[in-house]
Amino acid sequence: MRYDGTARRSQKANPSLLDKVWNFFSSVKIAVYIIAITLLASALGTVYPQENTFLDMDPSTFYKTTYGTLGELYYVLGLSHTFSSWWFITLLFMIGTSLVICSLDRVLPLYRALSKQQLRKHPQFLIRQRVTYTGDLLAGAGTGAGQVEAATGTSVSLSKTEAFAAGESPAPGAAASTAAEWLTGAAAFLRKKHYRVHTEDTALLAEKYRFSRWGPYINHIGLIIFLLGVLMRSIPGWHMDQYIGFPEGAIKQIPDTSYYLQNEKFTVELYSNQELSDEFRQKGQVVPKTYETRAVLYHCTADCDDPTKQPVLEKVHEADIFVNKPLDYKGLKAYQFDFKQAPLLISVQPTLKNKTTGESYGSFELPMTNPQDQYTVGPYMLKLKGYFPEFGLDDKGQPSSLSNEPKAPAFIFNISGPGLAEGGEPYLYFPRQIDKETFRQDEINGAIGQKLELSVGSMEGVKFSTYTSYLNIRVDKAMPYIWVGAAISMIGLIMGFYWQHRRIWLRIDAGRLTLGAHTNKNWFGLRNETAAMLAKTGIEVAPKSLEQGGKMA
Amino acid sequence: MNVHSVSSTFLLIAFAVYILAFFLFVVSITGKRWSNRKPEEHTRNWSRVAFGTAVVGFICQVAYFFTRWYTGGHIPTANMYEFMTFLGMMIMCAFLIVYLIYRAPVLGVFALPIGFIIIAYASVFPNEVQPLIPALQSYWLKIHVTTAASGEAFFAVGFAGGLMYLMRTVDFSNNSKAGKRERRGVEFTLFIILMLIAFIGSIFTFHATGYQAVFAKTVTTTDAQGAAQTTEQSETYVLPPIVQPHGTSVVAMKPFLGIDKPLFEAPSWMEGASAGRKLNTVLWSLLIGLVLYVVLRLIARKPLGAVIGPVVQGMDPEDLDEISYRAIAIGYPVFTLGALIFAMIWAQEAWGRFWGWDPKEVWALITWLFYAVFLHLRLSRGWQGKRSAWLSVIGFLVVMFTLVGVNLVIAGLHSYAGV
Repeated sequence: MRYDGTARRSQKANPSLLDKVWNFFSSVKIAVYIIAITLLASALGTVYPQENTFLDMDPSTFYKTTYGTLGELYYVLGLSHTFSSWWFITLLFMIGTSLVICSLDRVLPLYRALSKQQLRKHPQFLIRQRVTYTGDLLAGAGTGAGQVEAATGTSVSLSKTEAFAAGESPAPGAAASTAAEWLTGAAAFLRKKHYRVHTEDTALLAEKYRFSRWGPYINHIGLIIFLLGVLMRSIPGWHMDQYIGFPEGAIKQIPDTSYYLQNEKFTVELYSNQELSDEFRQKGQVVPKTYETRAVLYHCTADCDDPTKQPVLEKVHEADIFVNKPLDYKGLKAYQFDFKQAPLLISVQPTLKNKTTGESYGSFELPMTNPQDQYTVGPYMLKLKGYFPEFGLDDKGQPSSLSNEPKAPAFIFNISGPGLAEGGEPYLYFPRQIDKETFRQDEINGAIGQKLELSVGSMEGVKFSTYTSYLNIRVDKAMPYIWVGAAISMIGLIMGFYWQHRRIWLRIDAGRLTLGAHTNKNWFGLRNETAAMLAKTGIEVAPKSLEQGGKMA
Repeated sequence: MNVHSVSSTFLLIAFAVYILAFFLFVVSITGKRWSNRKPEEHTRNWSRVAFGTAVVGFICQVAYFFTRWYTGGHIPTANMYEFMTFLGMMIMCAFLIVYLIYRAPVLGVFALPIGFIIIAYASVFPNEVQPLIPALQSYWLKIHVTTAASGEAFFAVGFAGGLMYLMRTVDFSNNSKAGKRERRGVEFTLFIILMLIAFIGSIFTFHATGYQAVFAKTVTTTDAQGAAQTTEQSETYVLPPIVQPHGTSVVAMKPFLGIDKPLFEAPSWMEGASAGRKLNTVLWSLLIGLVLYVVLRLIARKPLGAVIGPVVQGMDPEDLDEISYRAIAIGYPVFTLGALIFAMIWAQEAWGRFWGWDPKEVWALITWLFYAVFLHLRLSRGWQGKRSAWLSVIGFLVVMFTLVGVNLVIAGLHSYAGV
């Protein structure tokens, strides 16, 4: 019925290997299995949080310690990264393949079947339809309601065959003109109901909303474009996703790009106690009302990759970044992700002094990111030998940095000048007083520490940030394809679900009407429309009695 | 009387009116056989009144919705209480639409209870207006949540249709193997509904009596620097503890029926957040649900499906099949738009990724895939009638898990909507 007998590629005899693959993916049954397996796999993937929901976590021990034996099993089976596993991606690929092949296999035969339709159907075909009717036409019926006398009585409650048997066969000549008249009446009514009506002699085909048959295919095309869009994100340069913390004031490079971003100011506003609900108040929860990063985006124009020089930056964009309102510059987006209240040094202005005389030689600005290689203070030359943003000692007792954030910055200078050894002497400098004491700066520096001192006289000259704003920096060039795919898919769904292809065939043979009607959804509507048409042309019949019931052939 | 309490009053009125409408629908069908009346006329008149009543209830709830919007300053779909009442409202709306198409009074008998049970369920959650966290401050909160809920509401009506179909067609005197299985399936579905009622009822009862039990345990964690830290974790129960969280000690517990300490301790592998309390709640729901079921069975002296069955006997099974399918067919595109496409657009705007495999997202996808399977089986494989009805029943259970289960059991980015 669906393709009116038109052959599909998947129904070939003697299939080759390619045909067999084609047949496999063209089967709706297989498609349903693939979808069902994907569904179950997805459900399993939500049992415990996936690995990518945590930062800095060792999955091999995390799942066991947090969720016990079941958690360990979850990790061992690879379910802790379900959605990036090869088998899950294979499932998605199979869904995509199935979408392509199922659609191709069906859409052309359907097109052929619908564009060349047979008007006069075999009576057997008509009475096999779920909505069907057979009965005799009476002379005079068809010109409108009113002349229904005998016909009404027989058709309403009796079964169709009985109605047909009870009716009297009119004379052949009269029958022909009755038939033509009746058909005109029926066609007029159906046209009013927006059907396209084709007639041929004493046969009629009325059809409407054929376009809804294309709905599923349009939906599938949309889904294919969507999935292709998702695939395209793996093209190099099409997709970038990084989480970077920007302390207030500091200009930081966005890795792998020639852009630099500065968090000029970060502000957070909390809900006042009156605005909070009792529940939150009881828990003593602090709920942010809004937070924003005033951001400036710079583009590097020269000396970008030269570590010995300061890059030349040009300001290209400025934006206030809120949650739900990202910065957007030529496809580079920065989303407000999180923030942390953690005071970090941005720069200090230490003074070099003679410890015995108290004489000051001058001061210089020392930034915590990208400090210069050397500084000249009075007669002294300070060469930077090492910088540790977060100072610590490694397994071998060697100084190392635990992170790139200036949480406990330490500088090793080689100072040369009057009263110092030829070639200079090493000097370790901790800008923060607490680190200076913890790591015993003076003891480490030894002799030079007795002669010279680097220190910050007052808080003046010390720059630090109160907040670090975490931004999610993204580039996603495939997004337009994804949205277009989703839109097409949606159009297809609406076409397919909110309209139904309805066809009514009828033929009149020697004064006897045989009618069959078909739709792919909403039989209720089709039944009512058919019954209304019959009523208009003089045959009163309960809509429900038109339905044979049972499944379609 | 301020606007906020007016708003709550409207919801209370709506709830009562829905229940009244439900009984009117029941009478419109069961009263047919009363003496001195024509059956068709009786059903027509009573169902007309019942429908009108349901419309009045709906209008009251719409009034609740907009007055709460006015007082709260943001659309009331931002926490579990607000979302569930909104879902209830949309179920009523979907019911009214499907009713206008098919004019089947029986639909009221099945769809209305789903609506008001959902609203009753909403009141288990704290009903205060909460301030919006920055992630929710977007006009997509209005668009995404409302369309998603509308789609789900049609699935709820599809569920009602499927349940009606099963009540109509499952033969409760058939003792063959298949017949018994079907019967058990129907009884199980009804039992789940009773369990939900039991859950709502028990939370209400113990809340009203002010019951509380507190447990605590010390947890030792190792932080990034390798230093061990101990913290005190406490857990408060609203329901009397049948089972206490693993490894905890009782801090305070009111005796219940003379029992002054928990009967069991949760097994050690249940270590997730609040696992013990959740297990306790599930046990209570099971227990009271079971008691309710047994009591009802004893009163009826036959399977509950057989008690409800006669209500739908006048209906044509194929019509029920179509009502169920049609509701799902109307809901599917709406659900796709609201729960997936709009969700993706918002996620792209707020979090910078349209899809992140967050549990709520995954479960919305699972719901979508489930109904995709349903539609393919129905349209291409001829799964109609009973099989289709079972799928529409299971489908709504998947919807409910997505809405409730994920928040309570799994949580994730959407956990702000939880209790």
